[in-house]
Amino acid sequence: MVQVEEYPEITITLNVNGKDYTVNVKPYERLIDVLRYKLGFLSIKEGCGRGECGSCAIIMDGKLVPSCLVLAIQARGRKILTLEGIAPPGKLHAIQKALLDTYAMQCGFCFPGVIMASYYLLSKNKNPTEDEIKYALSGNLCRCGSYLRFVKAVKLAAEYIRKGQVYFDLKK
Amino acid sequence: MASPQAEYVKIVEEMFEKKKEFWLIGQYVQRWDALSKILGKAKFTADYAYLFKNLVYVYSVRAKYAHARIKKIDVSEAEKVPGVLKVVTYKDIPGVNDVGYVLPDQPLLAYEKVRYIGDIVALVIAENPYIAEEAAEKIHVDYEPLPVITNPLDIVSFGGLKEKEHTLIHDERGSDVIARFRILKGDVKKGFEEASVIVEGEYRTQFQEHAYLEPEVALAIPEPDGGVTVITSTQCPHEARRAISRVLGLPYTKVRVVVPPLGGGFGGKEDVANEIGAKAALAALITERPALVVHKREESIIGHSKRHPMIARYKHGAKRDGTLTAVEAEIILDTGAYASLGPFVLWRAIVHSAGPYKIPHVHTEGVAVYTNNVYAGAFRGFGNPQITFAVEQQMDKLAEELGMDPVELRLKNIIRNGDRTVHGQLLDHGVGLEEAIKKAVEAADWFSKRKRYASQTGTLRKGIGIALLWHGNSIGAEGADYSSVTLIINRDGSITFRTGLTDFGQGSTQGLLMIAAEILGVPLSYFRVEQPDTSTTPDAGPTVASRSTAMGGNATLVAAYKLRQRLNQVAADILKCSPDDIEIHAPEVYCRSDPSRKIRWIDLVEECFWRGVPLQEFGYYRAPKAVWEDETGQGEPYFTYTFGAIVAEVTVDMETGKVKVDRVVTAYDIGKVINRVGAELHAEGGTIQGIGYALMEELVHDQNGRVLNPNLYAYYIPTIMDAPGEIIPVWVEAGYRRGPFGAKGLGEPSINGIAPAIANAIANAIGARITSLPITPEKVYLTLKRLGKISL
Repeated sequence: MVQVEEYPEITITLNVNGKDYTVNVKPYERLIDVLRYKLGFLSIKEGCGRGECGSCAIIMDGKLVPSCLVLAIQARGRKILTLEGIAPPGKLHAIQKALLDTYAMQCGFCFPGVIMASYYLLSKNKNPTEDEIKYALSGNLCRCGSYLRFVKAVKLAAEYIRKGQVYFDLKK
Repeated sequence: MASPQAEYVKIVEEMFEKKKEFWLIGQYVQRWDALSKILGKAKFTADYAYLFKNLVYVYSVRAKYAHARIKKIDVSEAEKVPGVLKVVTYKDIPGVNDVGYVLPDQPLLAYEKVRYIGDIVALVIAENPYIAEEAAEKIHVDYEPLPVITNPLDIVSFGGLKEKEHTLIHDERGSDVIARFRILKGDVKKGFEEASVIVEGEYRTQFQEHAYLEPEVALAIPEPDGGVTVITSTQCPHEARRAISRVLGLPYTKVRVVVPPLGGGFGGKEDVANEIGAKAALAALITERPALVVHKREESIIGHSKRHPMIARYKHGAKRDGTLTAVEAEIILDTGAYASLGPFVLWRAIVHSAGPYKIPHVHTEGVAVYTNNVYAGAFRGFGNPQITFAVEQQMDKLAEELGMDPVELRLKNIIRNGDRTVHGQLLDHGVGLEEAIKKAVEAADWFSKRKRYASQTGTLRKGIGIALLWHGNSIGAEGADYSSVTLIINRDGSITFRTGLTDFGQGSTQGLLMIAAEILGVPLSYFRVEQPDTSTTPDAGPTVASRSTAMGGNATLVAAYKLRQRLNQVAADILKCSPDDIEIHAPEVYCRSDPSRKIRWIDLVEECFWRGVPLQEFGYYRAPKAVWEDETGQGEPYFTYTFGAIVAEVTVDMETGKVKVDRVVTAYDIGKVINRVGAELHAEGGTIQGIGYALMEELVHDQNGRVLNPNLYAYYIPTIMDAPGEIIPVWVEAGYRRGPFGAKGLGEPSINGIAPAIANAIANAIGARITSLPITPEKVYLTLKRLGKISL
């Protein structure tokens, strides 16, 4: 049996939301745990630990990945984007605004992942069809059942962005 | 019980009678917590772990067998692992080793026996979760395996539901039948003699997993007075406190339960926090450090309750014109290893077992039995989805036999205002079922589609099906039924809202705020919701049974009403008009007859402060008495019922058996729509969860009681791809005199009718009926093949 405590910690630098963080990690530590519990990016949620539910989705070097399936050391030197970093302070990103506009909120646990997956889609496709939206969000489980509103929200967000409205003031 | 003279009853009834115009109720509004959640700033329980230093981690060592006697537990080797602080077994529990909810049958830590694969034999407390999990493998338990029973028909048999000879799972109770209920009315023999047509059927439903996205979690912090604060994801903080206090042997005053936002609940987080909270609390008190318990998804699936599987046999009789004469049924619910909410689930199933119909002769009877499966408990619908799946297919079978349209047959037999239920309960008002059916049928274009779909050929075939439902609100004759809230108008004019009712996503708290704001005349932005906390928020009863709006709504209404009376009085005194003439439209307060006489809200509040007029109010509401005669099932089991009609449209692939749900119309009579967004989201969410129940979801045990699909890669819940193209919510507002502005509950009813409507739509499409859930492509394919409707 592996004696887990034997492994020494490794110092790595992660670039999260444009800022560098230097942190000591065990080689077996998952990126999700380091981001949440060492750096405090608490928007990331763990629903299954197996890459099935999408709640822990982040964008790493331009790719949408479940942070529960990435070891922290694999993220060394990479650029990570989390929900905390998709809009400047005091602003909402268009997808956040659109999710509010469509009254999609229920328990909200899946939302960080849904927002990141939608953000990722919108960064690649400015005018996604309904099928493209469904495909893009098919890795995000929502047990409360806001799915139909997600489709509407992504469409609406795409519209906002096409009109040049990427960010919205928080105060309204 | 509520005496008709009670002040709170008078207030609720007065508001129902008098208030007909609303400025806020029924509007589309953003929920109070939407922004914090959309920003990712809302803190769920596990997020608090980041805020505490020096945590210990608790890992649960679970059973190796689903049924075995424990001869010896040896933890010595595990305790030697560096980083392990303590291994806890049943011997270390200071109080009562039980976390059972309805029956005291569920040890927190197993002793003598394990009864299912999720039973916990020991807790490892360690410096980090990796060490805890590793040390768990060094715990040695000597087991003497016992026969494993996974089939409830090995416990009881049809034809009387008598208990069979078998190795008892709960030997300490002397029986593995935990509850038995019946409805006995008239003479079914006579009823069937009067029938021209009789249909019979056996229906089976499966274990359904809640699959809330946030697995169970608890963080316990030791307090200086020897007590403990438990932050946990639970629907019922006061119930959790009761259970944790018992395990720890501490008074309630030394156990504080705090509930952050929940990542879903659906009934699954009604009782599991008893266990998970107790585990964390125990570890915190033993180590005197904050202790974290987080279930992985695999642990969550085997470690918390499921929806009860049902096996039921139904027999319906009707006259040639469709009038129902009799219904007879035997219903078996598998409650798994522990009772959890099982007896109440069975009771609710039996109460609703004849459907929302007038039937002169009824004999339905049910039992809930133990097996060595994962335990079953509360899950949205609470026994009702199971029996509705059976009853509503029986109705369609009857319609086929009679050559009647399924809608016509139902309209012939449903309960209307002034009718009595099969329990003899008079429903003199507030029955909106007929209107619901008519609206659903119209929105779905039922008659023309039904005709069109009758003559289809080809690979893809469409079907349309209907199902009705009813759902008794709140907990009824199950137990004490009360609710409470506290409203505090602060000196700056803002308002603090407190209740022990939790919001696990359903939006009920938003509905309560809307009721308070409507009456007080203040904008929603004035309110701050304090999170449920047994130290500050009043015990409002459990957040279950579609009771938050109906019961908590009344408590809110009562508190707001009393505050409004006082505010009116003071304002009238200042503005020199009558209290009834006072209009509050905060920040303005004025006399309706002369709006130039006005005062600002904040000044009115300040004036109340100086005059010593208290602006804090505790709102309480107790439900009307519920009556249940055990021998006959006669009485008044619930004070009111939510009604509904669901029309589902499907497309079936005749070559692969795949079913796609195209469109669902949900028409619910919820008395009065309070929170329109929340109501719509229930219609949608209940439908999608119901589609999972109907077509995809099933927790599978092998013969040894092991769960074969304990994660989301093998237990399928609907994704966005499985959502129907359209869900159309339709509302009926028949009005219940003792609901807040007439409102009734919708949380649970929103799943009840989905599976049977889909099953009936599939039958319409393929000309064959599938009577067990889930209706997977395999089942459809094999059914088509057996009937020679497919050649592949």
